[in-house]
Amino acid sequence: MGSMFRSEEVALVQLFLPTAAAYTCVSQLGELGLVEFRDLNASVSAFQRRFVVDVRRCEELEKTFTFLQEEVRRAGLVLPRPEGRLPAPPPRDLLRIQEETERLAQELRDVRGNQQSLRVQLHQLQLHAAVLGQGHGPQLATAHTYGASERTPLLQAPGGPHQDLRVNFVAGAVEPHKAPALERLLWRACRGFLIASFSELERPLEHPVTGEPATWMTFLISYWGEQIGQKIRKITDCFHCHVFPFLEQEEARRAALQQLQQQSQEMQEVLGETERFLSQVLGRVQQLLPPAQVQVRKMKAVYLALNQCSVSTTHKCLIAEAWCATRDLPALQEALRDSSAEEGVSAVAHRIPSRDMPPTLIRTNRFTASFQGIVDSYGVGRYQEVNPAPYTIITFPFLFAVMFGDVGHGLLMFLFALAMVLAENRPAVKAAQNEIWQTFFGGRYLLLLMGLFSVYTGFIYNECFSRASSIFPSGWSVAAMANQSGWSDAFLAQHTMLTLDPNVTGVFLGPYPFGIDPIWSLAANHLSFLNSFKMKMSVILGVVHMAFGVVLGVFNHMHFGQRHRLLLETLPELTFLLGLFGYLVFLVIYKWLHVSAASAASAPSILIHFINMFLFSHSPTNRPLYPQQEVVQAMLVVLALAMVPVLLLGTPLHLLCRHRRRRRRPTGRKQEDKAGLLGLPDASVNGWGSDEEKAGGLEDEQEAELVPSEVFMHQAIHTIEFCLGCISNTASYLRLWALSLAHAQLSEVLWAMVMRIGLGLGREVGVAAVVLVPIFAAFAVMTVAILLVMEGLSAFLHALRLHWVEFQNKFYSGTGYKLSPFTFAATDD
Amino acid sequence: VRVRKPARLTASGARLLWRMLSALPSGGPENLQRPPLGPSSRLGIPRPAMTAHSFALPVIIFTTFWGLIGIAGPWFVPKGPNRGVIITMLVATAVCCYLFWLIAILAQLNPLFGPQLKNETIWYVRFLWE
Repeated sequence: MGSMFRSEEVALVQLFLPTAAAYTCVSQLGELGLVEFRDLNASVSAFQRRFVVDVRRCEELEKTFTFLQEEVRRAGLVLPRPEGRLPAPPPRDLLRIQEETERLAQELRDVRGNQQSLRVQLHQLQLHAAVLGQGHGPQLATAHTYGASERTPLLQAPGGPHQDLRVNFVAGAVEPHKAPALERLLWRACRGFLIASFSELERPLEHPVTGEPATWMTFLISYWGEQIGQKIRKITDCFHCHVFPFLEQEEARRAALQQLQQQSQEMQEVLGETERFLSQVLGRVQQLLPPAQVQVRKMKAVYLALNQCSVSTTHKCLIAEAWCATRDLPALQEALRDSSAEEGVSAVAHRIPSRDMPPTLIRTNRFTASFQGIVDSYGVGRYQEVNPAPYTIITFPFLFAVMFGDVGHGLLMFLFALAMVLAENRPAVKAAQNEIWQTFFGGRYLLLLMGLFSVYTGFIYNECFSRASSIFPSGWSVAAMANQSGWSDAFLAQHTMLTLDPNVTGVFLGPYPFGIDPIWSLAANHLSFLNSFKMKMSVILGVVHMAFGVVLGVFNHMHFGQRHRLLLETLPELTFLLGLFGYLVFLVIYKWLHVSAASAASAPSILIHFINMFLFSHSPTNRPLYPQQEVVQAMLVVLALAMVPVLLLGTPLHLLCRHRRRRRRPTGRKQEDKAGLLGLPDASVNGWGSDEEKAGGLEDEQEAELVPSEVFMHQAIHTIEFCLGCISNTASYLRLWALSLAHAQLSEVLWAMVMRIGLGLGREVGVAAVVLVPIFAAFAVMTVAILLVMEGLSAFLHALRLHWVEFQNKFYSGTGYKLSPFTFAATDD
Repeated sequence: VRVRKPARLTASGARLLWRMLSALPSGGPENLQRPPLGPSSRLGIPRPAMTAHSFALPVIIFTTFWGLIGIAGPWFVPKGPNRGVIITMLVATAVCCYLFWLIAILAQLNPLFGPQLKNETIWYVRFLWE
């Protein structure tokens, strides 16, 4: 059978890696991605392992890389993706990479620091120039006239010759939002002894650190008196204003301004040079960084893998244990041979037996991956137990389609999935980051099959956007009924609802050959017919699905050498299931075939027969379907009940007997079946104390520890689970009916409430055409949102539940773990 | 027996339809008048009732069809790594689809009750489908 039937054979291999070639061998294994290393130094902490120094060096390098990356990002540049194959570099190259990176980082830091200080200086110069250049005309004009003027203080300071006081100036710049506060404080503190004038700069200046433009306010304060001067200086200090020396003479000020402008020009030139150098450095970083990042990541991964190996000083080599698929063993040996041949030594790998349960490996392609993903979400299978995925490929879309059946909706889903499948190789599609899109895209093959099956079940249900189509002529003849019952027009006018009677000859002409007859979509009682049909269909599909699950368990029992379970578990389970619920299916089909309309009034009720079967009672009004029905039913119930103790006690008793027989012959032959090496993983259905995922079940030696009470307990749980589960799981399949009914009704309501109103508006040709456009838009949006997305998700979920619980608990344990090989593939992107 | 050419049949059918539509009442069915006679009487041929559906023929056809897919198909799958999966898919598809179709036709084989129709529907179907 194909490789998906059960897990591939996975073996434990022991690798002997000579110290000289260990690094290259492991790096080559990482490129191939064949093996999963086992940690042989689990008891050793991370800081005490052999290669911890190298790992630390790699981590420090990664820190520097992060710094460089941040700088590149700040400059608005983008790091290009690394091209080509970049193997992990040998250890001596690490030094070179380290040096280069350090040098680049240092240069970058220096240049940045320079740039920063230059910008601060430039900012100061620009402010100074702005302050000097700002015209505070009126104030300066009155500076020298301390005669009578509006602005001279009214209050004369007591004592002292006022006319001799000189006017001093304080000039500076303050941030605009602090200016009013400064003004107020100056007024309150030094009222009457100063004149302050504020004015705003025309152009905003860039803040040196943040780069935000800010419009500064310049001020010119003219005051007299030394103490006032000190107060003013303290206030301006407090407000973090930039204060510049202000010369009184016009020419001196102009000279200073010119000088300032010259200086700022020079400064800008220097700044330009600095920024050019910075971009050069960043260019080199862009070149060097991406491949170095990949290489160092791989190197770190290799060292972490080497840390898991144990050191053998006597042989001067590292010993590693790894899980490898048996099919890949030759490739593994070849890889080791090639990579160690360069050093002149030879690394070998050979298989060793193992007590632990190996990891599960199932190879999938892009089609089967999504179905295997569904199964793995429930639980990864135990090593070599039957994998439900290949059957899920068809049964999951089928059960979805039973709940979703509509040709129109199925076609839309199919076309959407087809578009995704045809465009799957386009890079734009693969690089999309949206998570929801990725979810849909990952399940494109799932959606494709779901849509396809929905089209099929839509044809069977005869629903296309809730409308039925008459591909074949209907099997019900209204004319025959009307003619033979005398339905004249007057009669029709009086009676609004009339029923066709299949007993009248010519009314029912035979079953519709493909699907449900279209006459039912016109009928008022079509739910009565459809409900009966869909309920019976759900039970039939459910019993078939579950019986299939029990049969799959046979393959598990045969493979693990537990043939006793075939007789003691599978046979009783099948008898119980088919004896009771298989019989129900038989009753349903029998009634379909043999009870016709002629005896419709006294038709037997299957439900009442089934209930009476369990209660061993009899309803006189319910006639039997076939002669001796009660005898047959009684026998079946007795048989099914007899199977329960077989299921309950069979396997434990058998195991106890075998255990006792073995103990009596301690040197007896030990079986060499597969159960020996891998333990007896009966946990597939019983869950025998194998809570740890890696340890297997019992072995020959451990059989001495067979605890009878535990065995009986687990088997009792399994029996109860199975028997009660039969009933509840069969009823659970009725959700197939429930959801398909819901979908049909929603679809019908949408049509009746939206489209039919639109189509029925207006007899004139023009009105309907115009009105239909928005109505169809509403219909389309609601179809997609409610019927496709919401109902689709709902049916998906329920189909998933049916698989995970009702189907898989008949044979699947799902307590394994996946083989996750040591590979660089994740670090390559 | 006179057989009219298809074009004239369509034309007469369209005229009949137009007359029936214009005879549709705005009120209830009390205003129903007996419409002009249906195509059968127009052509003068006593048309039989609907064609009877056999049960055996669809069963044979579909059993053969799904049987070919599910039983004969696996023999033609080319050898390759995916052979097992493709065979499983073919057989599962055949079983599921055949079973589903079979349930649908068996459920309608012996109906115990018939459809309940509105009088407008009866009137319309009677003269349009037959």
